[in-house]
Amino acid sequence: MGPVPRTLELFYDVLSPYSWLGFEILCRYQNIWNINLQLRPSFIGGIMKDSGNKAPALIPRKAQYMANDIKVLRQHVQVPIQFPKDFFSVILEKGSLSAMRFLTAVNLEHPEMLENVSRELWMRIWSRAAEKAGMSAEQAQGLLEKSSTSKVKNQLKETTDAACRYGAFGLPITVAHVDGQTHMVFGSDRMELLAYLLGPTLATSTPKNSVQSLSFFSSRREVDGPCPPSRECQTLRLPGGSKLLVFSVALGAVSLPPTPKDSRKRSTISHVATCTSMTHKCLSESPSSALPQNKSNAIRQNLSRSLSVLVLLVCSFLVSYPAHCRGS
Amino acid sequence: MGPVPRTLELFYDVLSPYSWLGFEILCRYQNIWNINLQLRPSFIGGIMKDSGNKAPALIPRKAQYMANDIKVLRQHVQVPIQFPKDFFSVILEKGSLSAMRFLTAVNLEHPEMLENVSRELWMRIWSRAAEKAGMSAEQAQGLLEKSSTSKVKNQLKETTDAACRYGAFGLPITVAHVDGQTHMVFGSDRMELLAYLLGEKWMGPVPPAVNARL
Repeated sequence: MGPVPRTLELFYDVLSPYSWLGFEILCRYQNIWNINLQLRPSFIGGIMKDSGNKAPALIPRKAQYMANDIKVLRQHVQVPIQFPKDFFSVILEKGSLSAMRFLTAVNLEHPEMLENVSRELWMRIWSRAAEKAGMSAEQAQGLLEKSSTSKVKNQLKETTDAACRYGAFGLPITVAHVDGQTHMVFGSDRMELLAYLLGPTLATSTPKNSVQSLSFFSSRREVDGPCPPSRECQTLRLPGGSKLLVFSVALGAVSLPPTPKDSRKRSTISHVATCTSMTHKCLSESPSSALPQNKSNAIRQNLSRSLSVLVLLVCSFLVSYPAHCRGS
Repeated sequence: MGPVPRTLELFYDVLSPYSWLGFEILCRYQNIWNINLQLRPSFIGGIMKDSGNKAPALIPRKAQYMANDIKVLRQHVQVPIQFPKDFFSVILEKGSLSAMRFLTAVNLEHPEMLENVSRELWMRIWSRAAEKAGMSAEQAQGLLEKSSTSKVKNQLKETTDAACRYGAFGLPITVAHVDGQTHMVFGSDRMELLAYLLGEKWMGPVPPAVNARL
């Protein structure tokens, strides 16, 4: 029996682009690290008010920085995120209260759908691509109605208050519960630090499939950057060299609830089409190989694949230190 | 003959703890990556004023976050950084103008000493440990006098303005010049992204290298 998974709470708001990036990175790592990822839809407006902070977009230079930053991070983190043309007028004025109440209702009624539906909302706001979350029109309508009940309003308020008690002055925040201690990290660019805090028992090593990989971090936690090699996250090369996250057929098949035939068929077909056409390519390539290369990631990924084939031979040569297991 | 080293400009202020962390990480990588690291002493007060931003320490929760963050980063980045007990009263009131003018003078007169002297100032403000930068008392005195000349004041202003033109709203910022393009990254926690932009290998904040400090 392995070590108890560590709980990670991710507090996020779909208004926050960095929340999307942090969300995607942690979703990728939830099947690699020994963690229990809990998604906590929160209201960033409430956090700003409570902390006395103000939205970065209101400072012109921060807004400009964010616009450039998002462009770079799109490639580096491989999330199809783009600043919408009407960001300031629509998003800052409209706000995210109803969206986050909707997600709160989803979390109360259909928690297994929260990840997909959150992603769909981000896609609609922050991407030219749209994606079906697999929710029927009736389901969506029902949840929309529930969103304005006191129960849902209070739940969102409680979650937002919880984030404030953890010390949030913005989003995303990730709260790691480790050995009786609580660590709060702010931002999507602190995942390496998070890995460090989660420490040596992060590995999900199982005796049979245990594969150790060489790390360039010596005694430190190994992090494969924002795009760890994993079958649950495969990438599709689009014209123009940009990449779109594609979710595996298995994921789509298991988590899609009963939906009207054609919409499910549409989304499943798109999954199957993209996955089967790219499966061979994706499985044999590192996810980030089509982009301006971060050589260390490619080297590490290629190395780990070679090791998995030659596991018996290289076992004795591996540096033994806490590592996570990559089943392959 | 190898490829031309990429220029990295690090704009920093000794008042900024994250500047120290970014500084140490880049100093470690300057002998690993194919870069030409240029240190640019700047005045964070001027950047705050020019950008309309305010110091994070003035928001209570940000101050609390920074205090905890520094404790964790001390271990992770391996820099002996500690929040001074008198931080708010002494540092925020006193400010860093004279310190950064001093470093500007060092950069004008003895640029080869800038790295060490910058580190010594951070050590004095942000660490219980002190370190000798190898500067004699006479040298220090001479530079202190030069710090208040127009030449030095203007140089600090120019450097701070340059940071503002790159879009700074705080410090540290690192500006990478790559293939005719300029990329500005803010913060000490963006070094992996910087490596990605440079096409270099990221090996965490403490890369294994003979020349790594601390």
